[in-house]
Amino acid sequence: MKKRSVFFFIPALLIYTILLIIPIFGAFYLSTTNWNGISATYSFVGLKNYISMLSDARLGNAIMVTFKITGIVCITVNVLGLFLAICLNKSGKMIAAVRSIFFMPYVLSTVAISFIWLSILSYTGVLNGVLEAVGLGSLTADYIGNTKNAILSICVVEIWRTLGFYIVIYLASIQTVPVELYESCKIDGGNSWQQFRYVTIPMIIPGITIAAIMSIMTEMRQYDIVRVLTNGGPGYSTETITYNIVTQAFGNNMLGYSSAVAVFLFVIIAAVAIIQLKIANRLEA
Amino acid sequence: MSKIENRSGKVIRGGITIFVLIITLLMTIPLYITVVNIFKPTDLISASPLTLPSPPILDNIKTVLSDPNVSLSKMYFNSICITFFGTSICILVSSMAGYYLARTTSKFSKKLYVYFLFGLMVPYVIVYVPLISMYKNFGIIGNLPGLIIVFVSGSISFSVFMYQGFIKSIPIEVEEAALIDGANQFTIYFNIVLPLVKSCTTSVAIFIGLSMWNDFLTPLLIGQVPTITVGIYTAIGSFSADWGTVFAYVLFATAPIVIVYILAQKQFVKGLTAGAIKG
Repeated sequence: MKKRSVFFFIPALLIYTILLIIPIFGAFYLSTTNWNGISATYSFVGLKNYISMLSDARLGNAIMVTFKITGIVCITVNVLGLFLAICLNKSGKMIAAVRSIFFMPYVLSTVAISFIWLSILSYTGVLNGVLEAVGLGSLTADYIGNTKNAILSICVVEIWRTLGFYIVIYLASIQTVPVELYESCKIDGGNSWQQFRYVTIPMIIPGITIAAIMSIMTEMRQYDIVRVLTNGGPGYSTETITYNIVTQAFGNNMLGYSSAVAVFLFVIIAAVAIIQLKIANRLEA
Repeated sequence: MSKIENRSGKVIRGGITIFVLIITLLMTIPLYITVVNIFKPTDLISASPLTLPSPPILDNIKTVLSDPNVSLSKMYFNSICITFFGTSICILVSSMAGYYLARTTSKFSKKLYVYFLFGLMVPYVIVYVPLISMYKNFGIIGNLPGLIIVFVSGSISFSVFMYQGFIKSIPIEVEEAALIDGANQFTIYFNIVLPLVKSCTTSVAIFIGLSMWNDFLTPLLIGQVPTITVGIYTAIGSFSADWGTVFAYVLFATAPIVIVYILAQKQFVKGLTAGAIKG
């Protein structure tokens, strides 16, 4: 067999290397400088940016917020996603319609759906309006203006946006389980719960792993919803790591420092990705 | 015994059905609110957000269309250019690379594959600062082709991953017959391989096309180009609590996608989950 020409991969290799790989190295380099993006000169500061990260309360808060959002969203979409997948694992026009409604938010732009939710959750918005109208005015609250509610609001929007996606992943996973296994479980006297616990769950462990890791990787990068819903506020209390990086870089001209934070985020996400690869390899073996 | 179990089974099943209905309702309400409130004046929206508009008014849509600071046609033009050219270029270069990687078994080819996959684990926010200073040096900030090629670079990893796997599953004999006939490698690729991987191309096109259409930060920071997503974000700023107008903007940002989604729902679901289900 004749060898394939190198011209097959050269265009992709060039675009990918120049616009993605070289900038990543650039970020590692900038993270050791004090560049502010405006002055032409900057100096090498070694690991100083990384050391200042340790005592940066604002960054610490952003990390906590990111972990909180990741935890809440991951657990909810995976548990609810699996449960609903089992309920929707039937054919029929109704079920098909329900599935397509669940999936719809996932194809829309996050910025646009965040505006929909802003109109619902805002103090002068739809939800408080409905509560007033039905005589539950005492239950009205500020879902965006106070930190605790705001983080939950961000989670609600993200759960609403991604739930349909995880339902589809779990549906695909459930449909790979051979019907014979359920039948033999039934013959052994297993009820619905036992079929779920001893047949479905062990068979879909690969699906659960992929869905869980995907949701972690997505939520660790959360930005758009925060930008529209709270703008990081009140103060900077609902900033995520990505939000922190973008604001410090382009709002406060701390380009060297924000690059160090970006490198930190890169290390976390790469670690999650490597764990994913390890698990995937073990599952295939 | 079995009677009791049947009964409790019925109660549980009924409970589950009600729970699913409630969740479905909660999922649907935000979409419903958007659709009905586009046609209502803002003061009615907070007062009775769930009622049907009577009579429906087009004022919100007119406000958006007549705003002198908002050029919807320019935004659509930018978004369509980015999505169309970005997706086409990315599919062309990645499918070629995926073909090479699937059909070459050398050590170099394996290493190259890993090198391409590396991009999947990168949080994209890390590249903005270096990329912007690079673009500033070249003076191509705000340049549409410059932005398109950035989008291509960000989608190559995923596309190469998809094509490599898909082409590997196609028997090589199909190509060999053509090779014996003396056909050129690139002719074989374009005439034989590419038509065979159509379903992969559909999935990849939907996945990366949608991410390009919906992306917010990249056009905002690197291109400073008003796409439809960036455009409505900037435009709504001045209407912040005028919900009627906000809903009208949301309509303009999402309508094209909703229409395509309704027409090609199966392909959308397949394309967007293909990466996860395959991995």
